[in-house]
Amino acid sequence: MERMKKQNGTEDIPLFISRSNITTEINKTGSWRFARPKYDEKTSPCSAACPAGEDIARIQMLANQESFKEAVHTILIENPFPAVCGRVCFHPCETACNRTGFDEPIAIRCLERFLGDFAIQESMKLPPEKLPENGKSVCIVGAGPAGLAAGYFLTRLGYSCHIFEASSEPGGILRWGIPEYRLPVKILAREIERIKDFGVKINCNVPMSQNFLKETKSRYDAFFIACGYSRSMQMNIPGDQAASDGLEFLRHMRREEITPLTGTAAVVGGGNTAVDIARSLVRLGLNPIIVYRRRKQDMPAFKHEVEMARKEGVKILELFAPIQIEKTGGACFLTLQQMKISGAETSGGRAVVVPDGRVTQLRRVDHVFTAIGAEPTEPWQFPPEQGPETLHLGHCTFAHRDRPLMFGGDLTNPIKSVTDAIASGKQAAMALDAFFKKGWDANADRLAPYRVGSGPALSMESYLKGEHTSRNRHIVSYEEINTDYFSTAARVLSASLAVDESVHSFLETEETYTFDQAVEETYRCFKCGICDSCNNCRIFCPEVAVVFKDSRRVIDLNYCKGCGICVVECPRNAMALEMEI
Amino acid sequence: MEDCQIMLQQKISDKDYMYPGHVACPGCGAAIAMRFALKALGEKTMMVIPACCWGVIAGPYPQTSLKVPILHTAFATAGATASGLRAALDMKEDTETTVVAWAGDGGTFDIGIQALSGAVERNEDFIYVCYDNEAYMNTGVQRSSATPFGSRTTTTPGKDWKRSRKKNITEILAAHRIPYAATASIAFPEDMIQKFNVAKQLKGGTRFLHVFASCPTGWRIPTEISVKIARLAVQTNVFPLYEIKNGIDYRLNYKGDRPVTDYLKVQGRFKHLTDDDIKQIQDMVDEDWELLRRKMENNLVT
Repeated sequence: MERMKKQNGTEDIPLFISRSNITTEINKTGSWRFARPKYDEKTSPCSAACPAGEDIARIQMLANQESFKEAVHTILIENPFPAVCGRVCFHPCETACNRTGFDEPIAIRCLERFLGDFAIQESMKLPPEKLPENGKSVCIVGAGPAGLAAGYFLTRLGYSCHIFEASSEPGGILRWGIPEYRLPVKILAREIERIKDFGVKINCNVPMSQNFLKETKSRYDAFFIACGYSRSMQMNIPGDQAASDGLEFLRHMRREEITPLTGTAAVVGGGNTAVDIARSLVRLGLNPIIVYRRRKQDMPAFKHEVEMARKEGVKILELFAPIQIEKTGGACFLTLQQMKISGAETSGGRAVVVPDGRVTQLRRVDHVFTAIGAEPTEPWQFPPEQGPETLHLGHCTFAHRDRPLMFGGDLTNPIKSVTDAIASGKQAAMALDAFFKKGWDANADRLAPYRVGSGPALSMESYLKGEHTSRNRHIVSYEEINTDYFSTAARVLSASLAVDESVHSFLETEETYTFDQAVEETYRCFKCGICDSCNNCRIFCPEVAVVFKDSRRVIDLNYCKGCGICVVECPRNAMALEMEI
Repeated sequence: MEDCQIMLQQKISDKDYMYPGHVACPGCGAAIAMRFALKALGEKTMMVIPACCWGVIAGPYPQTSLKVPILHTAFATAGATASGLRAALDMKEDTETTVVAWAGDGGTFDIGIQALSGAVERNEDFIYVCYDNEAYMNTGVQRSSATPFGSRTTTTPGKDWKRSRKKNITEILAAHRIPYAATASIAFPEDMIQKFNVAKQLKGGTRFLHVFASCPTGWRIPTEISVKIARLAVQTNVFPLYEIKNGIDYRLNYKGDRPVTDYLKVQGRFKHLTDDDIKQIQDMVDEDWELLRRKMENNLVT
């Protein structure tokens, strides 16, 4: 090459340096690989613990991205009552939360409440996805949470539903058995309204009887009985007619038909009803004491409720059972038998108690309320124990007589909670649909593919899609979370009324999260088992082999050497490494 | 400080200046280091690579694995070549392009230190990156002066594991009073990219970055924990993350709180160590940490 002399006196000197002219892309290094990473979404423990099988990790993720409408839809497809459950659910999801191993569980219930209230504020409708109408109609007995849920889910599956309710308004225990300070009527009414708008017909003031069922039999293709436990159990002790029926008392409160009371009161029982009565009495200005025959820790009432009651001044007398009530003048004299522990129902379970000799206590109170449990009002409401073509499905019982007859809600649920009632409505709807489509024999197995984790919760979303849950059923454990990607942070607490304020009114004691609080709390969530697009897999890939295809991340197996860094660095176990040889 | 890892994704550029198909071992930390570095440095960058793993990863002739120009050069000459490249660009009045010398620990701690020290003493205007995998990995895991106390290599095998301490290269460079010297780790992408951004901005003098890059092959670790190990090195204070401006202004970026045994016990190169040996290493790490802490406290710049 000829040397060129430039004007400034310098020369261009040819450089004899070899220059690359192709890239390394021609080396298909994927052939080195013997293990293959893949995106593999798994089940979060909260979802598996939720009776309604809500996809909680995804709901948290969507809320975190401030996609509240999508988050609400994700709840509604599995549970039409987020504002109710966000208030009254005993949140088994939080007990199962993996974050407990790190600092404190996520306040899942508070977020659900926030989203529920958001949906009400925004007048959101139920998601419209429905299967085509199939011409079949179902009669639902009882407009409690189970009946309403069954109506909602069956409508979604293409059935026409009629709900019959004996009382004047729908809602069951939610309408008549839970005090205003825990669940305002207007919140409940809005969520029920939404179900009506979806096409569920509710007929109130229709007294329920076996006769009614016989008369209407020919008009319906199936029946769902969910009339709940509405009759209080009796103490069967001398003088028990002096005691007031606790459930009746709560019903009166909900009707705002309460005669003024004063003085002291004893509430017999240890369940949520007992606590609801006691806390309501405090608000009316009384001094209540809860009398429970087992220990405080054995009370079936939710721990949080017991704690709130205690803060509001409710006393709890444990290991005493009433054996006699004498009414003298205006006062009741309660004879209480001391109880002692003789064993445990299961290891670590509730104590079994027996009378402790002759030790008794006499207590003078102005009123006595009973809340020792409830039962169905009439024998036909009991589900059959066994028999040909009787199937116990976990949340409901399916009896195939001349018509399919299903029992749900408190009648069949081992845990008598609102969310379990909703779960029974969903299970009944899916089981009935499976029955009509595939016949009796297929029933038990037909629902297995739609389980969330190991069940019994079912996913309506995957049932509607008619495909197996896309997610791996494996429930993510705390050890599988890469905690290096999280820092400890205190649980965001929702504002609540001060005790001296709360005891003077029936206003809600707890407030709904603010927008900022809701988002802040979702940052704490591990989002176990689901991809939240954190991009770690792509960031750390030494091969530049995680690429976007149609805005989804995919692994380019032409180049992936199978090192597995993406799988380990995934903070939430949404990937897996599979051996190829 | 600890939060620097969380939500890193939003802040990291999605642009890559590296091609797939390069021939680094599976799980190579040095490959990850290059990806991060170029995300900060961008297109207007020229690389000078002496003999090291990256001499191979950059592609055999006629291939290249980078979207920026690379000048392959002799083992001892990264500092000198980068100086020359800078001078050539200056003559062409190209002040925009960043010159980066990209060398392994052998080419920095041992073989290239003369050229490096010379260039740094002249305060040449380039970024020098030492990606440190703590031995001559490319040629078969021979010990270097970056190999830590306690490590086995093919030249410190069996019971003759290395009994001298790792040379503190960052302090040596800081002692030249250059504008910027910092340590970085592939397990802390946001921190690392941020440091490359700082280095890129500080034109006019030498910027030195000591990048911890794990090596599954040489360290005898499973490939999938390559990043995790790099993170453990920081979490145990074996490799502290810090910056030094003008040789005197120290800033610590992360405070580790885990025992060194968490880092050592998962690596094949350390598996022969007894509890006493590990105790000795813990003492060394604590001593180094204390020294660093004091330098921070006695910062002459406030």
